[in-house]
Amino acid sequence: MNAKDLNDHIRRSLEILTESADELRDLDQALGDGDLGITITAGSHAVVAELDQLADDATPTEIARTCAKAFANANPSTMAALVAGALLAGSRTWEGKDDIGLPEAAEFAAAAANSIAQRGKTQVGDKTILDGIHAAAETLRSASDSGQAAAAVVDAAARAVEETRSLQSRRGRASWLQERSIGLADPGATAFQRFVEAWSRVDGPSS
Amino acid sequence: MRKIINAPENFVDEFVEGILLAHPDLVKTPGDDVRVMVRADAPVAGQVGIVTGGGSGHLPLFKGYVGRGLCSGVAIGNVFSSPSSDQIFQATMAVDGGAGVLYLYGNYGGDVLNFDLAADLADLEGVPTMTVVGRDDVASQPKDNEHERRGVAGIFFAYKAAGAAAERGDSLERVAAIAEDVVAHTATIGIGLAPTILPTTGKPSFELPDGQMEIGIGIHGEPGSRRGPLETADEIATDFVEALVGDLSLREGARVAILVNGLGATPLEELYLLYRRAHQLLAERGIEIVKRYVGEYATSLEMAGASISLLELDDARLELLNAPALSPFFQER
Repeated sequence: MNAKDLNDHIRRSLEILTESADELRDLDQALGDGDLGITITAGSHAVVAELDQLADDATPTEIARTCAKAFANANPSTMAALVAGALLAGSRTWEGKDDIGLPEAAEFAAAAANSIAQRGKTQVGDKTILDGIHAAAETLRSASDSGQAAAAVVDAAARAVEETRSLQSRRGRASWLQERSIGLADPGATAFQRFVEAWSRVDGPSS
Repeated sequence: MRKIINAPENFVDEFVEGILLAHPDLVKTPGDDVRVMVRADAPVAGQVGIVTGGGSGHLPLFKGYVGRGLCSGVAIGNVFSSPSSDQIFQATMAVDGGAGVLYLYGNYGGDVLNFDLAADLADLEGVPTMTVVGRDDVASQPKDNEHERRGVAGIFFAYKAAGAAAERGDSLERVAAIAEDVVAHTATIGIGLAPTILPTTGKPSFELPDGQMEIGIGIHGEPGSRRGPLETADEIATDFVEALVGDLSLREGARVAILVNGLGATPLEELYLLYRRAHQLLAERGIEIVKRYVGEYATSLEMAGASISLLELDDARLELLNAPALSPFFQER
């Protein structure tokens, strides 16, 4: 998809994502401090507002960087900083590109997952948003057909969230709950799942 | 709660405005956000900028050490919480004189995330940054896990040395190496005698029965690593000096700078009781005190309590401590 389609697609996805704010707040209240709903709502609204203002000739890299800055500034939280850092890392893989297809999406996701792992000092299985993003990145890497990739990513993200239920949280505030965190879905991974679901629900060219 | 305050939510903006109004010759805000404060002559062309930052409630820590021969800028968070990456980024751009920017702050999770993100943003603008975190609190982690220690009053030494190095024109790599060297040779330990009251909640940060003290306390009103019966000033100073000398492996003939710091509600008289005994003990061990600082350098609002920091000196570190510096809260002639 070209830059303009990308901009439109992100904005429409985030509008759908905010419908999950209450669910994310409740999940985060059980495991963390309950601000994830606000982070997602305030961050999404800020991104949509900034993308609306962006010039029509903005590149995909500029679009991703605009998303990162807006999301980070809307609500300075750990999750916002991690997501913004992931978007910046992803944006570097799009330098010089005007059209975003499956290989570009895969590179972006891999860089984003790597950024979260490093900055959050976390690995797959720690029961964080990384579990979802890593699963999506792996799915995109091995996908051959962009038509099916979106649905496969939705499935992978959902499976990753299911798997977090049986895990004990090892990072962030949730880790203080120790065994009590077992049985609950990770809020960050769930937020990512809701995002990719929203992404696939938006009509238009998908990748 | 008895505090001199207007609306709790305006507490930070208003006291920063007070500092800016009181010291316009020394500090300014580069844009319209008072949570970003830089030295009045920033950016200084060709000089490495040093940006610090962290939560409010620790004056003079962070914002008090912005000035000539010290930090160049500060990003200011709410009470005991991190500034945003955007505020750190704004401070970075406002102090960049073309030689890059050192991030120098305490080792707290939210600060680390936001400074790292600001470093990414600065990189997009072509401003190189390096990072050194203060991690001097020996009570927060054992020696073999010292990179996880929190940063407390001892970061003052790193500000002073790195600021002096930047002022004389050292490169970014050199200023960062000096800050890292000072951090590695600094150790702090503290006690708390009464909790702090957060302006936002109006509640004490912990309960402490009469006759007890918290040992190994941080600067956020958080509980210490253990609790014990209140000791005399001499006993406290003895425990402190032993912990610090042991942690730094100081031997006879070593030279040190010492900082006896009050946490906000402890009188200077009591701090000098601690200094007196620490001085005697170090002298008995053949350790020479070359520089001494007694007063409030890193506080926790009105928490009662104190900390002692030691920096092991060599000629290079001593020269940097002796270099001139001037901020609204600190000067070295």
